[in-house]
Amino acid sequence: MNKFIIIIFIIAKGFTSQAQYTGYNPVADLAKFKTAFATASKKTTSIKADFIQEKNLSMLSEKIISKGNFWFKKDSRVRMEYHTPFTYLMVLNKDKVYVKDGAKETKLSARSNKMFQQINKIMIDCMQGTALDNTDFKTRVFENRNNALVELTPITKGMKEMFRNINVVVDKKDFSVQSIQMQELSGDNTIMRFTNKELNAPIPDNLFDIK
Amino acid sequence: MILSSCLFFVVSCSPVHKQMQSATADIRLLQKFKPAFTVALYNTTVDVVGNHLSGLLFIKKMPDSSTRMVFSNEMGLTFFDFEFTDNGGFKVYSIIKKMNKKSVIKTLRHDFELILMNTLDNNKAIVKTNDGQLYFIFPQKKGYNYYITNTDATELLRMERASNKKSIVDAVMKNFVKGIPDTIGISHKTFEFNIGLKRIER
Repeated sequence: MNKFIIIIFIIAKGFTSQAQYTGYNPVADLAKFKTAFATASKKTTSIKADFIQEKNLSMLSEKIISKGNFWFKKDSRVRMEYHTPFTYLMVLNKDKVYVKDGAKETKLSARSNKMFQQINKIMIDCMQGTALDNTDFKTRVFENRNNALVELTPITKGMKEMFRNINVVVDKKDFSVQSIQMQELSGDNTIMRFTNKELNAPIPDNLFDIK
Repeated sequence: MILSSCLFFVVSCSPVHKQMQSATADIRLLQKFKPAFTVALYNTTVDVVGNHLSGLLFIKKMPDSSTRMVFSNEMGLTFFDFEFTDNGGFKVYSIIKKMNKKSVIKTLRHDFELILMNTLDNNKAIVKTNDGQLYFIFPQKKGYNYYITNTDATELLRMERASNKKSIVDAVMKNFVKGIPDTIGISHKTFEFNIGLKRIER
């Protein structure tokens, strides 16, 4: 009987270890973390940053790396400009989306396009600090000395078909987003790392105009 | 011989190609136009029945000689991951639910097979000529793949997929660099479905 209990304990411990992240431990006081996250996010009215996006094609042992500039301004406005190795512009303004690939411009309502609606919501939630309140996901939070890792596991049908989970790493100093990692069902993942962040820098409104 | 005769009859009767005359050319001349994808990334646009989609198509020749094609949007979300083998085999590794329809997969498979030239059996091929162009014609399970070159087969002018009755798809591969085309275009004739690929230097 004792052996059985030990085996169960070892298996359970194994599962617990797998479900965590190297160098991170579960946040001890989640309520306190949520309050601190929300308070810090309220102070952030804009974010300007560069980003490096890395798509890992696991079965092909290949990476596709792209770079660009990122702007966020409250409320719910995001501009992403990819400049290397291709050019692509996406502007999210409330529930409107503008995309420019090459010479082709597309305007659409995020409401009419489920995929853009979901991307829109994830991106805005991550920047506004409301990711923990997104009901499309089950959330767990881990931390180390400098960062917190918010693990978002989809619970709604549409999101479950797209992602295994989305991990958002925030800097505990100002709760700004350092990286967003999207884990796909196939095992491929895309990680977007933000650098040269400027919080609350003046950003002109017309950067987000969709005419 | 019987097969050749049947093929000649069908091709001769095709309204699109009824002007063609028999020609003698070495089928193997076409091999030099087979794209030698090692690793290539393409900026991709897709226009389908009034909808526009863009993304990145990643093509890689695998150690087992199969070719993998992964199409994702610019933000990294994978739309599909296909495998094409050298002997015409095909496998879907992943595809998003919205595209996971038999007709969509079949169309994409045949479009890319036309480009990859992985379903061409030289033993069943015939060569014809029309208007100063050579037509290398390869019967497929259904219909034909046409590869149209200039008179001396030094330039691949265009490709075509056709049924017994009509032309279905037009395609081009241009500006080869070390065996990899810089530009690829696929255009359907029976409904609005166009794919444009422009190679990206990484």
